[in-house]
Amino acid sequence: MVRLELSGVRRTYGDVAALRGIDLGVRDGEFFTLVGPSGCGKTTTLRCIAGLETPDAGAIRFGDTDVSDVPPEARGVGVVFQHYALFPTMTVRENVAYGLRFDPPDGSVDERVAAMLDLVDLAGMGDRDPDELSGGQRQRVALARALAPAPDVLLLDEPLSSLDARLRDRLRLELKRVQRELGVTTVYVTHDQAEALAVSDRLAVVHDGRIAQVGEPEAVYDGPETRFVAEFLGENNCLDGRAVGGETEGSLVRAGETEFAVTGDHRGPVTLCVRPESLDVNASHNQFDARVRDVEFLGDGYRVHFEWNGRDVVARLDDAPTGSVTLGFDPADAVVLER
Amino acid sequence: MGDAHRPVLLRRTRGRLANPAGAPDAIVGWVRAGFPAVRTGLFGFTAYLAVLGTGGAVLVGLPGAYVLARYEFRGRETIRSLTVVPFVLPAIMVAVGFTAMFGTHGALNDLLGVVGLHLTVAFDLPLVVAALTFYNAPLVTRFVVAAADTVDARAVETARTLGAPRWRAFLDVVAPQLLPTFLAAVLLVFVFDFMAFPIVLALGGLQLATVEVWIYSLVSNLDLTEAASLAVLEAAITLTLTYVYLRYERGGGAGTASATVERVPLVGPPSAGRLLAAAYALVALVLYVGPLASMIAESLTRAGSLSTANYAFLLAQQLGSGGTRPTVAVSNSLVFAVGAVAIAVPMGVSVAVVTSDKGRLRRLAGALLMAPLAVSGVVTGIGLLQGLVFGVDVLGYHLSVTGPVAIVAAHAVAGYPFVVRNVAPLLARVEGDLVAAARTLGAGPARAFRDVTLPLVAPGVVAGAAFAFAVSVGEFNATIVLARDGATYTMPIALERYLSNPSIGPYLGPAAAMGTVLLVVTAASFVVVERLGGRWEG
Repeated sequence: MVRLELSGVRRTYGDVAALRGIDLGVRDGEFFTLVGPSGCGKTTTLRCIAGLETPDAGAIRFGDTDVSDVPPEARGVGVVFQHYALFPTMTVRENVAYGLRFDPPDGSVDERVAAMLDLVDLAGMGDRDPDELSGGQRQRVALARALAPAPDVLLLDEPLSSLDARLRDRLRLELKRVQRELGVTTVYVTHDQAEALAVSDRLAVVHDGRIAQVGEPEAVYDGPETRFVAEFLGENNCLDGRAVGGETEGSLVRAGETEFAVTGDHRGPVTLCVRPESLDVNASHNQFDARVRDVEFLGDGYRVHFEWNGRDVVARLDDAPTGSVTLGFDPADAVVLER
Repeated sequence: MGDAHRPVLLRRTRGRLANPAGAPDAIVGWVRAGFPAVRTGLFGFTAYLAVLGTGGAVLVGLPGAYVLARYEFRGRETIRSLTVVPFVLPAIMVAVGFTAMFGTHGALNDLLGVVGLHLTVAFDLPLVVAALTFYNAPLVTRFVVAAADTVDARAVETARTLGAPRWRAFLDVVAPQLLPTFLAAVLLVFVFDFMAFPIVLALGGLQLATVEVWIYSLVSNLDLTEAASLAVLEAAITLTLTYVYLRYERGGGAGTASATVERVPLVGPPSAGRLLAAAYALVALVLYVGPLASMIAESLTRAGSLSTANYAFLLAQQLGSGGTRPTVAVSNSLVFAVGAVAIAVPMGVSVAVVTSDKGRLRRLAGALLMAPLAVSGVVTGIGLLQGLVFGVDVLGYHLSVTGPVAIVAAHAVAGYPFVVRNVAPLLARVEGDLVAAARTLGAGPARAFRDVTLPLVAPGVVAGAAFAFAVSVGEFNATIVLARDGATYTMPIALERYLSNPSIGPYLGPAAAMGTVLLVVTAASFVVVERLGGRWEG
């Protein structure tokens, strides 16, 4: 169990800069997520931590040790890949025991393997071949294999992306339980923002080879610092406008012909962000008329696409409206980003 | 082959064959005679030669696989595709190449002569083994590289992060995945070496008589009964080995790569691996480019100076040794090849369509596919000779076919597996939904096949046809058995006659010229295959 630190990590492939200077601190025992669109550099970052890629510049520290020049076999990491990467010529037990060949446990190997298989709910499956297992079982074997030598850092690269939705949700909970039980410092890579919000102690949004924002899921969701983060994590209605001084408290944001009241003191060009769930037909503030374009039923409510001033506005509503309605939002629910 | 195995084989063949070619009687007679030593020696020596040839193929093929799998360099893909070429190179032409390179008057001695040395390796065991290696090392390379491509890079990386150093990860994760495919390749090479005929005949003659050569010489003396008995024995051995091969083949390629292991640039600071690659390139150059270049050079020289006399000979209506006219050989080759392609393509496409369905038919067809590879051309030739050429009586009619028809049939049988191998993978990629869509839009099954499936597999059909063409042009084993009436000889047969009976002078020239023509035809076929993404994976 160890603290993990990346400073100024860069990696270039030919002319393409994959990492443009990554600075990160992952706390001891934390479940930390790197989330971003494909090609943003999150997997490259993970591979640098594992020692499978060599950064062009920057340092990677496990605790107080600089591991930048340490080969992957000596770093003490456990990695789980998206497509399991189980050794096809070995049984489940041999797969899980593989890392113990190089790092024998204190007790017996058999006991350790049995304990790991028990941990991932695969007790008694040790003699199976990998190709006799379902996708979910394979991924649990991969997890047990990564954890068997008690790594300092657990690295998970899209481990749930190959699985179907229901299984993914269940395995996500299980993963989180195992991680908490062992308290192992964990870096989790995913492109799925909902997964990142659900599972992380803290998360980092990665964008174009850089860290866009780091924080607890609620904090980043409620307080995005850039338009990219605002739109990537969850849905958002973002509108460019100009902030002018307010009367007593807060400010006014002017977009086209309309003015919206917001909290806080803002001046100059800004982007106004309002979450779909913050829009309401009964709101008493910031009202505007919008025309219903599409309605999607989601089970617990509706996602309604409106047209307002020639642009798309999305709202989450309890009832399906028709025709034209008046929408509004609480000034405190809006996020204002300087441009 | 040890004596212990033979009675089992014999019992099987006796039970299954109701004396179609007098084979069991001959075998019974042979057993009664107490396994005469000549035959024991014959099979023993054939196996010995096959072991040597297989050893050579592994020795040369494995480093090649290492270089191709580990390093990235310009022309890598080209070299990889070139490994299929020996498969379709006429063996008799390779024999000419090796003679031109290593023979008494060969290129090597010309070179050594400059520094006053002389080497006599011609027509000897090492030369035969070298030629067999030339033939089969690329097969080992090809198989192993294909298997290496299915190894999941993530699995190797996982092993590294679990504590395995690079070499250990190779040993624990990569090697076990390559082993079944490697063993399959070794078995296949052994089968091919066991059946090797033109190379042994041309470079070794009867001093290095293998089973095939012996069978051929028996056929030449019209001792067909004994020839057939030997042929049955040989087929039993090669079919058994092929059956074992098929079991191994299924075990290979267990990995499902989500990412293949990344190759490192070949050009870079010297390392042990890069030095090995350089040394290997030199060996490959001598072994592969040497004989072919020597043959071309030989074809362009006469009496030590540059000349086109050898090619003029090919065009002239003159008689070569044994009454062999070059022009007849060339035109026969082309006509037979066109005929063989015309039969092999529909045959191959049909088999590919049948095998694309799952189930028992598929396995049966898979075995049928291997049969032409597992049974030597000489045996096929004897079968056709006994059955069709000499005629069979059916319902009071005497049916027989003429030599050319039998030759075309033999060539088609040799070539159609290539059509199947090229069409089947493309067929597998045609989604069922695509055909279903055509059907729901009103096309009947045949029409849907023509409009939707066929255009998608067309490149495979053409590539397969090119393969079949090249195989036919180069076919030697069955042709030499069937081309007994004097007028149906092809280029490879003419080549062998020039080579074995150089009554036209002490020159290799005419043979080399015809060999060069064969090389050009084969190379042209290969270009077509390559352009169309043809394949021959094991």
